[in-house]
Amino acid sequence: MKKNPPPQQHHITELLAEWSDGNQSALDELYPLVYDELHRLARRYMSRERKGHTLQTTALINEAYVRLVDQRNVHWANRSHFFAISAQIMRRILIDHARRHAYAKRGGGAQQVSLEEAATVTPDQSLELIRLDEALKSLSEMDPRRGQVVELRYFGGLNNEEIAGVLNVSENTVTRDWNMARAWLYQQLTGSGAN
Amino acid sequence: MNPERWQQVSRIFKSAISLDDEARAEYVAGQCGVDESLRVEVEKLIESHQRASEEKFIEGMAAEAGAALIIADDEIEKQSALNKGQQFGSYVILDALGAGGMGEVYLAKDSRLDRTVALKVLSQDISSDQRRMQRFRQEAKIASSLNQPNIVTIFEFGEVDGLTFLATEFIDGETLRDYLRAKKLKIGEILEIAIQVLAALDAAHEARIVHRDIKPENVMIRRRDRVVKVLDFGLAKVTEKRSSVLTDHDADSEAATAFKTAPGLVMGTVNYMSPEQAQSHALDERTDIWSTGVMIYEMVSGLMPFKGATTSHTIVQILEKDPVPLTQFTSRQAPEELQRIVSKALAKSPDDRYQTAKDMLIDLRSLKRHMDLDAEIQRTSSSGSPRVTVATDETPHEPNKKRVVIYALIAMAVVTAAIFGINIWRSSRARTNASITPPAAAPVAERSLTYWITVQKFRNGRPYQPPFTQPGEMIFEADYQIRVNIRSPQSGYLYVLNEGPPEASAQPEFVVVFPSPTANSGSPLVAAEQLVQIPEQSWLKFDAQQGTEKLWLVFAENAVPELEAVKSFANPQTRGLITDPARNKVVQNFLTTHSSTKPGYEKGEALTTLKTPQKLLVYAIRLEHH
Repeated sequence: MKKNPPPQQHHITELLAEWSDGNQSALDELYPLVYDELHRLARRYMSRERKGHTLQTTALINEAYVRLVDQRNVHWANRSHFFAISAQIMRRILIDHARRHAYAKRGGGAQQVSLEEAATVTPDQSLELIRLDEALKSLSEMDPRRGQVVELRYFGGLNNEEIAGVLNVSENTVTRDWNMARAWLYQQLTGSGAN
Repeated sequence: MNPERWQQVSRIFKSAISLDDEARAEYVAGQCGVDESLRVEVEKLIESHQRASEEKFIEGMAAEAGAALIIADDEIEKQSALNKGQQFGSYVILDALGAGGMGEVYLAKDSRLDRTVALKVLSQDISSDQRRMQRFRQEAKIASSLNQPNIVTIFEFGEVDGLTFLATEFIDGETLRDYLRAKKLKIGEILEIAIQVLAALDAAHEARIVHRDIKPENVMIRRRDRVVKVLDFGLAKVTEKRSSVLTDHDADSEAATAFKTAPGLVMGTVNYMSPEQAQSHALDERTDIWSTGVMIYEMVSGLMPFKGATTSHTIVQILEKDPVPLTQFTSRQAPEELQRIVSKALAKSPDDRYQTAKDMLIDLRSLKRHMDLDAEIQRTSSSGSPRVTVATDETPHEPNKKRVVIYALIAMAVVTAAIFGINIWRSSRARTNASITPPAAAPVAERSLTYWITVQKFRNGRPYQPPFTQPGEMIFEADYQIRVNIRSPQSGYLYVLNEGPPEASAQPEFVVVFPSPTANSGSPLVAAEQLVQIPEQSWLKFDAQQGTEKLWLVFAENAVPELEAVKSFANPQTRGLITDPARNKVVQNFLTTHSSTKPGYEKGEALTTLKTPQKLLVYAIRLEHH
């Protein structure tokens, strides 16, 4: 893989500030930059740590933040925004991988392929991720905030206190949102709920 | 769940989970009041909350699972022959998806058409085998000619830089196998999947392609819209051959070859094998019917109908055992009709099975409609909406009873026997008219009516002589007993009358078939999509005399006064026969006025056709008995 040159801190910092001020098109530009950086970092972490080690999402996002954003010129609130978008991007990265996996496992379309040698992950893991992602989409349509709580916590690796900071709500609210959201997702994924 | 409901549920849930069990039940009951379904929803969610906590559901981070995925993808990328971004013929490689026995699979973009495809690059040892390549090529060609939404599309089979590749539709979804692992399917979902699989098979069989390897691993469900796709058409043979050490066999014995030589490798396949497949007999379309039957059985019960401790035991079961009826799995509440369909698909002798995928498809669709309708009735009756009563048929059918044929005469044309699936429809432009209820300047209503006819084919296990015929085409091979199902996408007034063969110099007799005291409670008004079955819970028995019978279907936007009167005749004493000569005349006049006849194409006989009236459709189904 080709190595990306370190993205320009200054540019990203500006984009982040613009987006925080409500400029949505800044996000479109920001997204791929952060995606690439997070993905690159994740792969680097994994190739160093190998199996048996978990990916520390928060550490990853923190590192990306430090690398991408010029610390001297950034407002504190932008950090929350950065975490929010990073959680979303981590979700995307993982789901992209999971989809590819689920697809490869079943043999890539019109023919059977035995993938024992290629697959080091059980398909169930990737499918579970995909299903959760789908259910989370439905949840966010009904209730965007609860959806975001799950995204920040599960995909972004943030704790309740940090989530409360990002969403600007109390920690109690985060806990309650989490309980409800998790119960609903559980119901969806296990098929134990009414339709 | 709509957002308001969600808010309601969440408000109660929030307070309820902090209470102990007893206080909680009381609190929830108090909050929900008479809204029983709200209470059920809240309680289910509370239960899910408790279980999710116990199981530590999504307590860990997604990245824990994701880490392994990232590593694995890195590995795949390192091993792949083609790199991301690389040009391969007219394709640009987007991603390596995996590798295996047959070759490597990539996600690629066809730059000519800007579409994403799954690109399979065959390994050298496969592409150097001339004979296999020949067959592979031939089959890819046939399979690519199958243009059916439930069959994976093959876009291209070709060669670039000495590498043979196959480009197919990329489906983002999961296999039925994974789907079944994840959740218990409802009967309705099972029927939906089975219907789509059979639609694919029907198209393939029409093109003389037998799949031979129908199993949950070869059925995919697209994530986006839950469309079912059948994989591996015509390619199964090629892959099976790989596991065989024998050198050459003709196509029909190939599955058996695989079984004999490497049972371990094809274990998954044995369970779905038909008796003829297991015995290396010649295979035809009916082997796919069997395998589909096994798959439905598995979806409903969660168990394989035939499964022994070893491959040989399984084969013995396939050849000899009758599986436990689905209706005995009480938790599933499988309808009797489904059991009938499955057991017919699993008849040991291909001759006793459904003879075509189409036949089985028809029965499954009919059952599905039935169930949808029942659900609809339950919904409307529980919410206190106006009463909708329709003819429902819960009595179990005798085995081997149905075959569907459609025969209709409409709109100055004769539509002769089509085997199935024809929606006969006709739009009638309702001109501006004060009596039309929709808002002024309402769009012109497209009037349509779907009906299909099922015909009894056997009685007491013996086939019948075909009594109903139509010049040029066989129509009804039946014991004069037919069933008609009618449905319209719009609500309207439906009248169905049977006109018997005219006796010399006598008035034709009319029997009111619908409405009747049992069918729709005597009301001709049918709801949109309401399924009307005629006759209800029995078969319409046609006169055994020679001659032409007609079944008149009149569907109107408004009640038809001439025919409204017939309601009073539809009583059990007269069995719907219009005995009053004056009434008979009114009905006859109406039907004559609203239809026309023109010379038939044989012996100057008259064909009843549709005269295009406004807001009214008149169909005459003619049944000839010679």
